[in-house]
Amino acid sequence: MCQNPNERSTNPSHFESTHSQEEIPTHRDLLWEDYQNLIHGMRFFDPHIHMVSRTTDDYQMMAKAGIVAIIEPAFWVGQPRTGLASFKDYYSSLVGWERFRSSQFGIKHYCTMGLNSREANNERLAEEVMEILPLFAYKEGVVGIGEIGFDDQTALEEKYYRLQLELAKKTKLPVQIHTPHRDKKRGTERSMSIALEHGLDPSFVVVDHNNEETVKSVLDQGFWAAFTIYPFTKMGNERMVAVVEKYGSERIMINSSADWGISDPLAIPKTAALMKQRGIPLELIRMVTYQNAIDAFAKSGQIDVTDFETEFQPDPNAKFHGNSILRGGQQPVINKNSLLIQ
Amino acid sequence: MANVPTNLTQFLFEQTTKKEREWLEDQVGFNDLGLMTGFVATPRFLSKKNISYDSKTRGDLVPHLPGFEVDGWNLVRLARVWLLLHLPIEPKEQFIKNIETLFDTAELNELVALYSVLPLLPYPSEWLPRATDAVRSNMGFVFDAIALQNPYPELYFPEIAWNQLVLKTIFNGKPIHWIYGMDRRKNKELAIAISDFISERMAAGRTVPLQIWRLLSAFVDVTMDSKLLSLLVSGTEAEKEVAALVCSESSEPRIRSLLTKFPDLELSIQKGELDWSKFESIPE
Repeated sequence: MCQNPNERSTNPSHFESTHSQEEIPTHRDLLWEDYQNLIHGMRFFDPHIHMVSRTTDDYQMMAKAGIVAIIEPAFWVGQPRTGLASFKDYYSSLVGWERFRSSQFGIKHYCTMGLNSREANNERLAEEVMEILPLFAYKEGVVGIGEIGFDDQTALEEKYYRLQLELAKKTKLPVQIHTPHRDKKRGTERSMSIALEHGLDPSFVVVDHNNEETVKSVLDQGFWAAFTIYPFTKMGNERMVAVVEKYGSERIMINSSADWGISDPLAIPKTAALMKQRGIPLELIRMVTYQNAIDAFAKSGQIDVTDFETEFQPDPNAKFHGNSILRGGQQPVINKNSLLIQ
Repeated sequence: MANVPTNLTQFLFEQTTKKEREWLEDQVGFNDLGLMTGFVATPRFLSKKNISYDSKTRGDLVPHLPGFEVDGWNLVRLARVWLLLHLPIEPKEQFIKNIETLFDTAELNELVALYSVLPLLPYPSEWLPRATDAVRSNMGFVFDAIALQNPYPELYFPEIAWNQLVLKTIFNGKPIHWIYGMDRRKNKELAIAISDFISERMAAGRTVPLQIWRLLSAFVDVTMDSKLLSLLVSGTEAEKEVAALVCSESSEPRIRSLLTKFPDLELSIQKGELDWSKFESIPE
């Protein structure tokens, strides 16, 4: 964490990797348009995506690809926040504007609330954030405490991780653990052992950003294992297919973690298409791209599947639960191919 | 407890289960922060069912505040309003800070409850900036909570803010007859803005919600005669009726005289068969 403006930190950002140059995949002529029919009619749930950094076009594409619900974990916005008000506004946007914006596209938006590990290193601010966190943790549609855990694996990160595990216990909410990019194996083990030490039921804990090296231990200890399909640094979807072939679908889920980096909000539908093409049974695909995430986070008591399983036509003039999608002078989606503008 | 109308408490408890009632009673025993956390956590402990609200109870929940209605509310919204009325109102600075903190950290449904309680809170002028901000909101439920069926704007909004509220209600295609006190706060500035809006829409070949004409009738001047005449002659049936109502309510003799050429309409107005309530359907 760069606290001194004159210091040039070498701490990589969320998506950087020191080996990124070696990991750029070779070009393949696999065009998404050619594969979309494989997933026609499927429903997806992305349990980890940072929509606050994404555009309206993303929402439109996601809805079209079958994503019906998402969870947006509170995380780092790319630069350190300098005051409590920034956190308040950010948390409010997760339960307010972003949730509303998502609803405009027929996508149900949930979130998890937490102080992220990077900013846990700013102790003064972290203390203030912890004071207001309960007001956000209890909000409607907050399905967990997250994403919390380690980045640099400092003492302060551990302190606030532990405090937030206690908050999760008090609020009876699932926990979404962000495992570190560097020294991942040790960070993952440490995150799990601390959670167990605090008496958390592993079935209430989703360990995120797994890879081939961490998955076995996470599953063996009874935690949920989430995988992030994120180009260059985390899982690729061909590797993901191999993981599912090896471990099956129990307690495994996929997410995109799409954010302000070079990432893909369609990571789940694309992976589902690849799985289908590789002959993974439909039920397994459904579990890892939809059902498991719902089962894990529904322990919050905040997920009602009828909110997104009832037929929803992407007609912006349609009523959804008795309410119009269009609010405050919003215009319906227009046919961009039409020459006439009315 | 002194601030909480007895009827409201009784009504709320009639809607709750024993367990829910006990939870609510626990919350009001806590300190400020505990009560505020309870306000946030309400949906985790109470059902979101719509409250049953019959015409017998209507208007009686808060006897000194006509216009305070809970029609269409769910139990969580009602319970949140009730919880807020238990926050200690002294010292004033602390009370204001607590309400502001809740606004600052609120999600949509909490905002709806906060705007719903405004007419019941002490220090009403303190909430004016929040209330006028809500009128600017793009979030429909937030806008509705302040603009529709809420007595706060009529009581406390200055004219310019009131007019914005009415115009935005029209612009959002929402029913203006749900603005509490709408007829009492008609004014010339508003009539001019609506008249402009109607002209703009007509020039573009677009329609307007017909009942907005009712906000003009007391202020129509002679420059409007050709517009009204064209509606009386070649409008749809509903447009003819609206134009006739405007003419009949105008204090301008030349406008009123337009109606004499349409005796059928004049007669049905005189007989009380035609009035503005005919146009109070919710716009699609």
